[in-house]
Amino acid sequence: MSAEMMMQSCLMDRSSSFFKLIDTFSSEISELKQEMVQPARDPETEILQGLEGEVSGLFLQSSACTGAPGVRDSGYDSLRRRMSILDRLMQTHSVWLLLSLSDEEARHILQPQPAGSFVVRRCYKLQKKVISLRMDSDTLIVRDFPVKESQYTFSLEGSGISFADLFRLLAFCCISRDVLPFTLKLPEAIAAAKTLTDLEEVAQFGRGFWDSELCNKKNSSESGETVCDRRSLKQLGINFSPRVPGIPFTRTPSELEYSQSNGALCFINPLFLQTHQPNPSPKKQETSPGNASGSPQHHHSALHRIDRSIFCRTSSTQNKPHASVTRSNSERSPPPRPPPPCFASGKSAVLRKQKTMPETVCWIKTPQEKSSLLGRLGSSFSSLSPSSSPPKKFSKPTLVPSSRSKNSSGLLDADGLRCHMALDDQTIEEAVSWSLAKLSSCNSTTLENCSPADERCSTGRERLSDLSISTSSSDSLDFTHSFSLPMEASPSRTERPTGDSSLEEEEEEEDDGINLESDQEAPPPFKSKKRNGAGTFVLPRALRGHLRKMSGVLNSLMTPERRAIRKIVEQSRDKGTYFGCLVQDYVSFLQENGGNHTSGLDLLQTLRQFMTQMKSYLLQSSELDPPIESLIPEDQIDQVMEKAMHKCVLKPLKPVIEAALRDFQVSSGTWQQLKENLVSAKAKQPQEMGVDGALPPDHVAIEKIRHKFHNMCKMYSPEKKVSLLLSVCKLIYTIMESNSGRMYGADDFLPMLTYVMAQCDMPQLDAEIQYMMELLDPSLLHGEGGYYLTSAYGAMSLIKNFQEDQAARVLSSETRNTLHQWHRRRTTQRSTPSVDDFQNYLRVALQDASNGCTAKTLQVHPYATTEDVCHICADKFKVSDPENYALFLLTDETTQQLAPDTHPQRIKAELHSRPQPQLFFFVYRQIQELTVPLDQLNENTLSN
Amino acid sequence: MAIRELKVCLLGDTGVGKSSIVCRFVQDHFDHNISPTIGASFLTKTVPCGNELHKFLIWDTAGQERFHSLAPMYYRGSAAAVIVYDITKLDSFQTLKKWVKELKEHGPEDIVVAIAGNKNDLGDIREVPTKEAKDFAESIAAIFMETSARNAVNVEELFQKISKYL
Repeated sequence: MSAEMMMQSCLMDRSSSFFKLIDTFSSEISELKQEMVQPARDPETEILQGLEGEVSGLFLQSSACTGAPGVRDSGYDSLRRRMSILDRLMQTHSVWLLLSLSDEEARHILQPQPAGSFVVRRCYKLQKKVISLRMDSDTLIVRDFPVKESQYTFSLEGSGISFADLFRLLAFCCISRDVLPFTLKLPEAIAAAKTLTDLEEVAQFGRGFWDSELCNKKNSSESGETVCDRRSLKQLGINFSPRVPGIPFTRTPSELEYSQSNGALCFINPLFLQTHQPNPSPKKQETSPGNASGSPQHHHSALHRIDRSIFCRTSSTQNKPHASVTRSNSERSPPPRPPPPCFASGKSAVLRKQKTMPETVCWIKTPQEKSSLLGRLGSSFSSLSPSSSPPKKFSKPTLVPSSRSKNSSGLLDADGLRCHMALDDQTIEEAVSWSLAKLSSCNSTTLENCSPADERCSTGRERLSDLSISTSSSDSLDFTHSFSLPMEASPSRTERPTGDSSLEEEEEEEDDGINLESDQEAPPPFKSKKRNGAGTFVLPRALRGHLRKMSGVLNSLMTPERRAIRKIVEQSRDKGTYFGCLVQDYVSFLQENGGNHTSGLDLLQTLRQFMTQMKSYLLQSSELDPPIESLIPEDQIDQVMEKAMHKCVLKPLKPVIEAALRDFQVSSGTWQQLKENLVSAKAKQPQEMGVDGALPPDHVAIEKIRHKFHNMCKMYSPEKKVSLLLSVCKLIYTIMESNSGRMYGADDFLPMLTYVMAQCDMPQLDAEIQYMMELLDPSLLHGEGGYYLTSAYGAMSLIKNFQEDQAARVLSSETRNTLHQWHRRRTTQRSTPSVDDFQNYLRVALQDASNGCTAKTLQVHPYATTEDVCHICADKFKVSDPENYALFLLTDETTQQLAPDTHPQRIKAELHSRPQPQLFFFVYRQIQELTVPLDQLNENTLSN
Repeated sequence: MAIRELKVCLLGDTGVGKSSIVCRFVQDHFDHNISPTIGASFLTKTVPCGNELHKFLIWDTAGQERFHSLAPMYYRGSAAAVIVYDITKLDSFQTLKKWVKELKEHGPEDIVVAIAGNKNDLGDIREVPTKEAKDFAESIAAIFMETSARNAVNVEELFQKISKYL
């Protein structure tokens, strides 16, 4: 077992310990529930009732659920329609999500606020989002906690817990301090709001809220409640810092019912395995397969004590064998941080839980069962691998939620989370089982093994899908709406050894294993599929690849991205929004007047331009609510937007575009000519195409490639098309290399590709290539996709110009000119409104009396102010007296000095997005100076 | 650290060792961060340069005459071009000169040109004198190095130099 595997297993431990935390919270809450059954006169209960306002906010439930089985009518129904912390955060992001706030402004806002108050902003120095937290000291008033945005996840620096989006991270921080000195505190007006309207009112204020009376008034009335909170928390044995209201530890009794096995904190949805964990403790590393039968070397993580209680529970649920675990664990000393709930009596809790929660989730496992990472993974979820523990043992957990109400969003979230995990394991399992044995021999057993598992899965799935439907109809938790992941995931489970992007919604898009989503260079799975089938010897390596890939895959199938995409797509259909109007109008215009363009190229270019403009519009307008920055890590935004554009624009238009392209080809005669050329090219031997040495694919392989090309034609997304093209190229490469073992460069590959494309005899490929070349996100054109696309275009051009009498013919100058034009076009376009462009670079000219103009491209972040840019300029241009210089914006008519607090990148973006772009320049020059003529600037600053 | 993606195209006659040079460059000092690629005609490698990271996106081209006309597709948008010749084949040096001319006329304006005289390990059957090649390179202000992909001579250095010019 490699070190990396070890690492993985540690990560698993770590994350499962978090689940345990969630579970523990739930059990604590159920204890609280028990307390609440006491007579109403009981002071404790009064306190609890007082808490209801906050407490019930954990879930937003619809009244529809009252009659559902398993819900106890506790008399608190009227309190159900409350908002969760997540809701509160989302509704009021305009108040606390103040990305452009400076250090100074943040301090100004937070100073009068109680400790725990916070804003989220973008710290210029760190170039990161930070939580600016009001501390409880007067010396250090505000401290910034950087938010780490890895690919698709948000977490606090130093913390091992990641979240799908910023809201979830903050919601979690409102409950658990994790690495913060104390939990976050929502302003009273937000925390105490009773209705959506209240929140909307608050949100209206935006940043002004902090200065408003609403904010200040509410703060003063807070003390009473705090006392209650503290007392009730004490009752739970939870030690909390004084000023923090213990909002989320409690809940209405009826809700408690749900929490039994699914975790009280379920609204902290998809939880990610952190890929960059701090080094695991040595103890953890001992949890190796070899050590499997020993006592559980469990986490010395902060969650240690929680683990203990879970162990108790798990062992008692699962009977006998782990009784010793309980003991051995309870001998440990508690860790210093964060303060975990102190359980008055672990044992009794266990017993009680046994009674009230017979359906305890067993997906939390004791280490004993972990014979290996895979065994462990496999054991918890319906495993496909013969190597894992028999599924019977674990059949119980998956049945758990059957009797529960369908309307608990929290339940849904927790399940989503679990399903995510399940999928994770499953995909890995699958990958392993596929690599483990030769496909043919393994097939039958694998399928056999998986059938019971799958059944179980599917029950879970159905239930979940029900859930997502009912939830979305009844509550306003935007984030849970889209949690239909398990449903979409299902088809891939049995069929595909690798999970990759098959979970995309486009069911028509067969996927061949190349995932371009996160990186152009994601490897296709052929190697492991084909070569490692030979024996178990190569497994670790193959697995490593899979694991790495899997984590990427999981990240990408995790919902933040899809939620964001869905959100954009929904909005694009909503004619009530400006964006929706633009998209719908354009789509229907093209559908009705498909032939309105002069050529196929013209059509595709217009489309590309439209998508690019829509992307920049979305980014700059505030139409997306919540802002996409809060859902998607910054470096992923463009990519996510691009996907969304494909979906809202290209998907509905695909048939129209296809027909139009074909019409143009037919009417110009190129279609007929291409067909004829393909016939003659197909008759050629590989050598005649320039193939020298490498072995060409046989008929079977050509058939396979044709099949892939056919699938490629079905896609609407240029990225997906390219990914299939790449899989074709990969296949060709594999065939070439399998016989020689040497690496082939373009000298060998391009002729082979030409030969293969001729053999495939598919004239429609020409239009396909055109589609990809014109519509692919410009940022991908220089990457691997761009390279092979270029090669395919080249091969197709050769075939188009192929003539009997001139086997070694060079391309006509006409084709050559086309290529030149293509490049110019695509690169010009790239210099206009690609988000990437105006986000990071700014071309600034130094205007100097003696030397005229010199221009430099500076890296300027979108949130940099003019003042910041001036600093950079002074530095880059080596200006000795920067105080006499300023940044100016020059357009054809005007010269305008920019105020220090403006944002040049925004100005640039704004100018770019105007319908009639005009020339403009950023000029850094002395404040008192005559302007130079524009044309002089022109020479130097063209590339703005 | 900021990552700059730099497209680099490889030009030169077939058989001069274009892809060997790149394979050598990419595979040496094997780095786990390298994502595997489809095949050797497109490779990437990230190298630190000052306070930046340069990610080379290396586009190989087919050297046969019949593919010559496709070259603009490959070199357009390149930050640098590596033109490779074989020191044991005078013809390949003539081809190199043609490429230089073509780049001058049609290539990106500020493209960095690097000339690599490959197969330095076969000095005894050399046809192109080092001095001649060096003088030529100087005359066009190009980076010049004699390399041996086989023995890993000057390959890394070549790309380091390019990195500095960018």
